[in-house]
Amino acid sequence: MLTIIKNELKSFEDLARNFATKELMPNRRTNDRYPFGAFYDEVLTKANDVGLFGVTLPEDCGGIGQGIAALSVILENLSAVDASLAGIIFTNVMAQEIMFSAGGKNFLCNIVGHNTDVHTALIAFQVYLNPAEIKPSLEAIKNKDGYILNGKIEYVVLGGIARHALVPAYIKGNDGYTFFLIDLTDKGLTKSEPIFSLGLHACPAVDLTLVNTRATLIGKEGDGARHFEQASDRMCSAVAAMQCGIMKGAFQEALSYSQERFQGGWEIINWSALRMLLANMAVQVKIAEMVVAATALAVEQQHPQWEKSARAAALHLSELACKLTTDGIQVLGGNGYMKDYGQEKRFRDAKQVQALLGLVPMRKLNMIGAVINPKMQ
Amino acid sequence: MISLKESESLLDLEPRFADSFCSLQAMPQLPKGMLKETKSAIALARKFSNEVIKPVALEIDRNAHADPEYLPWDLVKKANEWGFYTMFIPRLFGGQGVNMPAASYVIEELSSACVGIANVVFVHYLGVAGILASGNISLANRVFREVAEGEKKGKPCIISLAITEPNAGTDVEENELVDRARLNCYAEKVKGGYIVNGSKIFISMGHVSTWCCLIAYTDLKKPSENTVTFAVKTGTKGFTFGKHEDKMGQKACPASELIFEDCFIPDEYVLADSRTFQSSKKRSTKALVEQYIHYVVEVTRPAVGAFGTGVARGAYETALKFASETEVGGKLLINHEWVQAMLADMYKNVILGRLSYVEANYANGLSGGIYHLLQLKLLYYYLKYVPRVILDRLVNPFLNTKMARWLFHKFLVEAQSIEEQRRVSGWASLAKIVGTDMGVKNSQMALEMMGQAGLRHDRGAEKFLRDSKLLQIYEGTNQLNRINLFANLIGRSFNQVRVFEE
Repeated sequence: MLTIIKNELKSFEDLARNFATKELMPNRRTNDRYPFGAFYDEVLTKANDVGLFGVTLPEDCGGIGQGIAALSVILENLSAVDASLAGIIFTNVMAQEIMFSAGGKNFLCNIVGHNTDVHTALIAFQVYLNPAEIKPSLEAIKNKDGYILNGKIEYVVLGGIARHALVPAYIKGNDGYTFFLIDLTDKGLTKSEPIFSLGLHACPAVDLTLVNTRATLIGKEGDGARHFEQASDRMCSAVAAMQCGIMKGAFQEALSYSQERFQGGWEIINWSALRMLLANMAVQVKIAEMVVAATALAVEQQHPQWEKSARAAALHLSELACKLTTDGIQVLGGNGYMKDYGQEKRFRDAKQVQALLGLVPMRKLNMIGAVINPKMQ
Repeated sequence: MISLKESESLLDLEPRFADSFCSLQAMPQLPKGMLKETKSAIALARKFSNEVIKPVALEIDRNAHADPEYLPWDLVKKANEWGFYTMFIPRLFGGQGVNMPAASYVIEELSSACVGIANVVFVHYLGVAGILASGNISLANRVFREVAEGEKKGKPCIISLAITEPNAGTDVEENELVDRARLNCYAEKVKGGYIVNGSKIFISMGHVSTWCCLIAYTDLKKPSENTVTFAVKTGTKGFTFGKHEDKMGQKACPASELIFEDCFIPDEYVLADSRTFQSSKKRSTKALVEQYIHYVVEVTRPAVGAFGTGVARGAYETALKFASETEVGGKLLINHEWVQAMLADMYKNVILGRLSYVEANYANGLSGGIYHLLQLKLLYYYLKYVPRVILDRLVNPFLNTKMARWLFHKFLVEAQSIEEQRRVSGWASLAKIVGTDMGVKNSQMALEMMGQAGLRHDRGAEKFLRDSKLLQIYEGTNQLNRINLFANLIGRSFNQVRVFEE
């Protein structure tokens, strides 16, 4: 990160780095076995205790009251070791951001603020989907007590562990979709088994089936897309930070390995074709660091057209991360493909993170749309 | 006009005609029967994909994640029942004798459903290639007939090939590097055989194979001239299995550690010992070892290209189906122009992968290629139509004679010119690089098009990505294959070129 950010946010960098080294690194492989192994509940509790789930939550809600820059520093440093916890934080903050955007701060504070129980502190969200792209399958009906939801909703991240979920639904007669908050302990709700996914295994998702499930309206009817876009643009810088962290982790492991592994009579780093792979990785990591810092500043300080900067950062660093992690495996050869090392997980995680916030090609088209017509922002 | 001599001289300029148009040169020489045979093989592969692979591919992948010690015994049994383990073994050795290049098409078919399961079927032929390229047709005949017997009796007998060592991957694939390698698999010559000590890793299908084509060294300081290849049977005293690797993908196909501790292997199981190679006018002992390794990889690298092409196709087909069923922004994805362009790119990638491995196959069918002899019309039709009883009773005993060994040596070792070796080796690397890169590329594109749905295991797309990455690594990393391609088809024209010398 740029010096100014680095100095101001050093404590968050230290916090995330220490947490990752102490709590994530030793059991990375075991935690990644989920859903075929145990879920790391105790790590989540510790993350909650040190405030990692309330970084952007206002202080009067029991959070730390920081902005996107602090969040980015934390996500980047966690992701360098294991991006799954960063995925959980990302999901939670995305849901919070939508609720803030929709004027639901007080409501949010009531349900998650000052909570010591980690499950209550988390809000599940369909974080890999832009509901404007694929029509939400939930239908909301208004009754005298409020709203009830019916239908099936797929891939709700944290749906198996959080107390609440923020979900999009259609209301008959409305053009746009609307966000609702549901209690995941509601009787009219059933959860699937945890979904086995490509990456971020320890940031799990479930499918939900809702039958007359009570729901609380977030914002106004039909106003969901506006809140999603606003939150999504801010969170694009968080995507970039996660990818930057994954890239750093992959580069470091490749660099270390290349200085230890012998082929052709000397350490493989001495072969210039392999050194070129590492050189490209080093360039990409440096670019990623600069992009993350500049984007976080742009978002934080509301630079003109910060939205475009954030979108571009997420798209570009995701492409770089997918490329870099592929090379990261390649440097380690057969070992890179095995779970004994961290590279194969980073390869999967980078592709998973790339899918955050909706279809990549549609996000690109939205980007150029915003360039052509600034009102689209 | 141009004289014949001038024409030849012009065609010998880069890009050389002889190396650039393999299919054009090979096709007029091919027996017509190969076409019909290939079509039948592809049809059978499609049936196997539909009836056996597709219904279980995701379930097996998931189970193997849940239980990393999973071994694919059921799949091996099925492949055996369907005749896949003898399909491409020449009838001369008790197999079905389907032409070997057809294996690539079958590989693409099976891989488009699941490349892990395709490996369960075809890693066996890596072992077959290792044995066949040794030129020891007497031992090859014995092992291959056991495979055929296993098929008849419903007791699968498959072959693996063990070359990679814990500290030597790339080095053992390239004879120029092997003398600098940190090897451990040492074979000491003793009375009546060899005692082998050391280990091999990442050996596909090791745990479930009956035979292993093992490459070891009689001198670890000068392995390039002291390579010995054995056929070792599972259960041999001193030969055990170690770790079962936990891989990112291709979970159906185990990768095994093989441990040899004072393992005595009798002389009768030696496929080839470079110290006893017949001398050659064209090649030094080191070059003969290199020729052997290249004969193997000249077959197996295009096969890996076909694996990659199959994955590219599977990913493309999955994305196509998704696009034709899913609405985005109020209309079907398939009707978005950007999706049509992506699908066209993915289709193109499949075709590029296929063209590459097909051309490599044709290179192998030309003079100096390992398929050449069996594709000579007279021999092809003889082996295809002569009653099996004649092959078994009259030809089979001949395979154990010195004369037969001499003939195979003449064909395999002496008949191949250095230029021909370069052609097939270069094309094999090219096919491997193109096919596997296309596999990874299409898998990535499928996920980008499918978004959230592509990430879920139960939708099938993410598995292609995990599976595809291994293809860029095994059978020589794509980095090594680029250097091999350079050395054989590019750098050869420049006397000042040196490879593997930094």
